Amino acid sequence: MNAAINKYLPLSETTAYILLALSEPLHGYAIMQKVERISEGSVSLGPGTLYGAFTTLEKEKLITKVGETDRRKTYALTEKGRAVIKEHIARVQILAKNGAFTQQW
Amino acid sequence: MTTIHQWRWFFAWQDDKEEQWLREMALAGWHFRDVSPFGKYTFEQGAPRNDVYRLDFFRRDMNKAEYLQLFQDAGWAYVGELSRWQYFRKTVADDLDPAASDLPDIFSDNESKAAKYRRILLILVALLPIYLNAIITIARQQNSATSVYSIVMIVFLFFYTYAIIRLIMRVRQLTKKL
Repeated sequence: MNAAINKYLPLSETTAYILLALSEPLHGYAIMQKVERISEGSVSLGPGTLYGAFTTLEKEKLITKVGETDRRKTYALTEKGRAVIKEHIARVQILAKNGAFTQQW
Repeated sequence: MTTIHQWRWFFAWQDDKEEQWLREMALAGWHFRDVSPFGKYTFEQGAPRNDVYRLDFFRRDMNKAEYLQLFQDAGWAYVGELSRWQYFRKTVADDLDPAASDLPDIFSDNESKAAKYRRILLILVALLPIYLNAIITIARQQNSATSVYSIVMIVFLFFYTYAIIRLIMRVRQLTKKL
């Protein structure tokens, strides 16, 4: 189980934010807006990037389609997706703790 | 409505130059209408507009309706297509004169930009055995007509290889990581 998760880590910033945004099921543009907000403007997803990410994440079974309205598909995390983002955040937290001293620079 | 035609040719790795050219035309008041496979671009005259054009290379097994809806939601107008090339346009707020690197883009990271060029490479590489087979088959029948033809095909093959190399270089440039 761990190897299946670890092969995806570390995630890119784009992927990490998409998975975080999917803490609730959302469709594409809603994810774009949420990521812009929660990243405090540091990550602004482009539609080409987001669409490509959906295709890959769905193929790797980290997310799944749960509905569709007006040509907008709603996605949600799978169990595997949850495990991946959880592990990624755990790692990033250790890194951030180690890097806290750089705030003095 | 005044319409003009311009003939230009852009190779797959020159899509950024094509985007820049379409932008310059729009700033001069000529707005992209259509493009044909032979490099004929149609423009309609209008007011100069601070527009950004972006090109994507679509994969046929993807869901086009969902794809286009996402772009539309994100404020990109779908203005045309040529084979798998998709043309999008967005107007930049007029009081901004951003540096090229600050202009809106449909890709927000280098990995997805590189993925676009990889999609093109996949098609080129898949077609390569077909061309090689055609050259070999024709070269085997030795008469003057076929030897001219096989020279043409070999020149084409050299260029084809050059195209593949340029695209690979572009992908590597975008995926350089520390």
